Amino acid sequence: MTIAGAREGAMYGIRRAVAAAMARDLTAFVLPGPSVARSMGIDLANAHLRIVGTPRHANVLIIAGPLDVGLRDAAAVAYAQMPRPRTILALGAGDIAPLPDADVSAPLTQAGLHSGLADLRRVVAAGAFRANTGEFTAAALEVRVEYTCPMHPEIVRDAPGDCPKCGMTLVPRETASDGHGGHGGHDMPREDRPNPADHAHAGHAHDAGGSGAYTCPMHPEVISDASGKCPKCGMNLAKAEEVESHGHGHGHGHASHAPSAHGDHAGHDDKAGGSGAYSCPMHPEVISDAPGKCPKCGMNLVKAEEVESHGPGHGHGHGGHGGHGKQQDHSGHDGHAGHGGHSKATIDGIEPHFMSMVELTEGQPRSSDGLQMDWIEVPFGPFFPGLPAGLRLTLTLDGDTVAASEVRSLVGRAELVDGPPMAVVDFVERLAAMMPLSPVAYRILACASIEEAARVDPGQNARRGRAAAGERERIVSHLGWLAEFGTQSGFLWLAARAGALQLAVRDADIDGIAAQALAIRRLIRRVEAAPLMRMRLGRIARIGKDTPASGPVDRARGGGSDARTGDPTLKDLGFEMRVRNGGDALARLRLRCDEIAQSLDLIAAAGMIAVPQVPDVDRVSGEGEARIETPRGTASLRVKLANGKVVEADLDTPTDVNIALVETVTAQQELGDALSAVASLDLSPWEVRG
Amino acid sequence: MTVQMIFLAFFGGAAVWFGVVVFRTHSMVRSALALLFSQTAIGAMFLVMQAEFLGVLQIMMMATEMSVMAIFMVMFMMDPGGMGKMDMTHQKRLSLWAGGIGLLAALLLVWLPDWGPVALSVPGAHEQAADLGRELLGRSMFIFQSAGLTILTAMIAATMVAIVPNAEQRK
Amino acid sequence: MSILVVLLSLAAGAYALAVIERWAVHGHLSLTGPAWAALALMGRESLLARKSDRLFFELGPVLLLVAGLMAVAVIPLAPGLIITDLATGALFLNAALAYVLVALIMAGWGPNGAYAMIAGWRFLGQFIAYAMLIVMPITAVAMRAESLSTVEIVASQAQLWNVLYQPMGFVLFVVAAMGLAWLPPLDLPDATGELAGGVEAEYTGVRLAVLRLARMVIILALAGATVTFYLGGWLGPWLPAWAWSAIKILAVAAAMLSVGRYMPRIREARYLALSWKLGISLALANIFVVGVIALVVPI
Repeated sequence: MTIAGAREGAMYGIRRAVAAAMARDLTAFVLPGPSVARSMGIDLANAHLRIVGTPRHANVLIIAGPLDVGLRDAAAVAYAQMPRPRTILALGAGDIAPLPDADVSAPLTQAGLHSGLADLRRVVAAGAFRANTGEFTAAALEVRVEYTCPMHPEIVRDAPGDCPKCGMTLVPRETASDGHGGHGGHDMPREDRPNPADHAHAGHAHDAGGSGAYTCPMHPEVISDASGKCPKCGMNLAKAEEVESHGHGHGHGHASHAPSAHGDHAGHDDKAGGSGAYSCPMHPEVISDAPGKCPKCGMNLVKAEEVESHGPGHGHGHGGHGGHGKQQDHSGHDGHAGHGGHSKATIDGIEPHFMSMVELTEGQPRSSDGLQMDWIEVPFGPFFPGLPAGLRLTLTLDGDTVAASEVRSLVGRAELVDGPPMAVVDFVERLAAMMPLSPVAYRILACASIEEAARVDPGQNARRGRAAAGERERIVSHLGWLAEFGTQSGFLWLAARAGALQLAVRDADIDGIAAQALAIRRLIRRVEAAPLMRMRLGRIARIGKDTPASGPVDRARGGGSDARTGDPTLKDLGFEMRVRNGGDALARLRLRCDEIAQSLDLIAAAGMIAVPQVPDVDRVSGEGEARIETPRGTASLRVKLANGKVVEADLDTPTDVNIALVETVTAQQELGDALSAVASLDLSPWEVRG
Repeated sequence: MTVQMIFLAFFGGAAVWFGVVVFRTHSMVRSALALLFSQTAIGAMFLVMQAEFLGVLQIMMMATEMSVMAIFMVMFMMDPGGMGKMDMTHQKRLSLWAGGIGLLAALLLVWLPDWGPVALSVPGAHEQAADLGRELLGRSMFIFQSAGLTILTAMIAATMVAIVPNAEQRK
Repeated sequence: MSILVVLLSLAAGAYALAVIERWAVHGHLSLTGPAWAALALMGRESLLARKSDRLFFELGPVLLLVAGLMAVAVIPLAPGLIITDLATGALFLNAALAYVLVALIMAGWGPNGAYAMIAGWRFLGQFIAYAMLIVMPITAVAMRAESLSTVEIVASQAQLWNVLYQPMGFVLFVVAAMGLAWLPPLDLPDATGELAGGVEAEYTGVRLAVLRLARMVIILALAGATVTFYLGGWLGPWLPAWAWSAIKILAVAAAMLSVGRYMPRIREARYLALSWKLGISLALANIFVVGVIALVVPI
């Protein structure tokens, strides 16, 4: 019995003890995330596992439920980051390629989890080491070189060539083959970004094997398989091995400024100011009578007069303001290098603008703290602890301040009806399965809209039961959000307690909920009274009243709408819209707590819980629309029936609205605050149009 | 005595070697931390010379100071990782002269003055700390207080200078 | 001899802390858990990130461990049971702990990962905030003892423990100590929900085991320092001196490890602002008050 991700080595002596220890000490990284597993009824806290936040610290990858196609490449990257011996436990996952076959498969139930883990422990103890192990390869791990224009980052090509917009030579950069290595979404227009080359961060793809053998000493993002000249500055490419092993991706941003920066303290050599000669912008001591390349670095020599003429008033030949050379290279790059230091007085013996930070960063926008730093693009998600699973958030960080953000759902929903007319039952099941975080709410929505279309009345009792089921889902969802917030903010007691209550309420009947009500209310009181809570969330992610928003995000700013206000059934049960003032993350937390308490009351008033049955519509035709308040906000569904089958469906979800807020709430925030802000929106990536 | 000399030579050598590394590496972070370890070695030399308080103080202060310097070097230098192998030297002739004159001055300072007889017995560590305190709050008080005030002024001034561009930006 | 005893008790203490930490983070109490976890870590691959600064990556955890051991060296567990009773013990403790910062910068910079790098620099960003809050309360403690020797500091508390004599200093010191050991809610350098493990994010296998061990040693050293400076060290009735030390140190360490479980992590900017504006003023006030008391009421 061996495992696909066994570590190389014979199984003997001490290794047996180590393998036994590994089998006892399972540390799990959960896909798509612990929150999704919980909403599917899987209690991971009760399985003698340790859940960790990074695949680096895990030895088992637990896949809960079918793995969306959009997540599979990211899953392969996560698997590749795990140290061997590594295993996969698939709970009702089905096809998981490009991941290797699961070492243990089990059904997606709590019992399945326990039996799967028991099997897994046996497998690990017996087969953690193996004499010959294979490499794990997947398309997502391969690094490929693509070509982009330094001025027009939206131009991305597979082959070298010239930019169709400005004619500049396209420069190569390294990227994960499917756009996962931190450069995802080239589709986003980025013209407004000042220095696109700065964003060419080498990404995070660790196991991603070797890169091109040659690289530019000044522009590390330039990678080539053959020796030659750098397309950006013309320097000779150096062998990658030569480049010191501790090179850093995050050094790149400045590297692209280097020519101008160096030029600033280049020209103090008296000879440079002399005859009409050519000189190297980097090495002013290199003087030549004819144009050519610098023997030291291979850059094109620049005419000295051209340089000299810009530098009057410096007394003695402080000529080589290589910044001008750069200006020519980057023709059209406004501002920036055009400040050869004429305006400022010079001090004898110190070149003008020596090591001047102002020069280095001129033209770049500043972040809120006023400090100018290197920009790096850091991917968060789709499996980041504390962020919604399936959401890929790419933050461009200026120091630790978010300069730009980009958000994308990897699990976005497809068209509801794509293809032939769908039976009503299939339609309802499909919609509920599409939304793993709130299946009951969408089932209610689907049934309600079909009833509208077919003009069927479910009856007063069914309405009450249905309303209560919706409120139960609200409690479950909000508790799940609290647990995620606890994970993200390190409030681990909350994470454990809210997660346990979420599982307890998930399938509870009216008595079960009554039994948990006291515990839930106590939890809410403790959350609101927790020390540091106000400091953590207060004034974070403020959203003004004019910005479109839905659900608790909307109602936490002193007003807003709630689809439940017009519902007579809920009105009978005593529903009143809850509102909080402030519009920040703290108000949202408190509003969700209020809503949990209110939902408990509503369920108690309803006296029954009934998940709606799919209405029998026979062979009617018609059109109908329903709006309900899901835990995340108002969702509406319009369906068209023909002969008892659904032929057209159009869904609007709250996350479609709220996901647009991500950019607003993260802009110019400190990293931790930005992540709290995104989490406070309670996005469900499954609800986003894919 | 000889053991002491061996350790002194060892830490002295380490200080010099780390000092050389500062200029030999291309990585800003390595450079800053090499300077830190060079200073730590000097602190260890103090300890070998039985100047316990000074040694511990040197080791403690340098850890903080050089780390702070490291972050500034990373922030302000292009290519902080040293991957680009950029040549960051400049003003070579001036540096050579300055270095040469500095070395000469140091050697003269070592050889020329009369340093007096070698201290054969050193006061205990407790006593040293107490003596140092009396010195700082007695004869040398004015010097140290004015130095402290100057540094404080310089820090505030530096902060002011650093935030001015931001204010301009807002206009 | 006493070195061996201290090291053995250090190992036992580190194991006890690992048990407590496991409970605080994962919620289950298991006496054998950390042993299995350590053995399992030994068997895992110790990966090296692509384009890493290998030297720093390897040295970071080791330097962290060395710094922790150095700090432990000046903590007395009983009269005579101390590795070295330096005349400048309190200052030396501080010097050793300053290298925690250096080690974290190395560990953060080494692996060439964004999360780790941000974590390392974050720690440096906070550093002055809590470094001052460690040094200044120690100053007040040394003022009362009229010595920097840790043994004499304990002896000076025979009449009245410092926790009662200078409670403000005690609070500041404990908070700063938790920041230095990056314990929740001040765990900014390895914040799971923000940086997915931060400085620890890229370490696996044996290197991770060393890093975790080093952190336990540092937490023990800081708990030991708290006990020595404020809780009367080995002093106490009925029980033998070493037992009092052990009980107090473990209790302080357990409290420091578990308090973060019940509150969200602090925001970095607020933490800095509080440390600078409130913490340093209070620490200065503490020194002043202790100075006045020491002159007026001799206890």
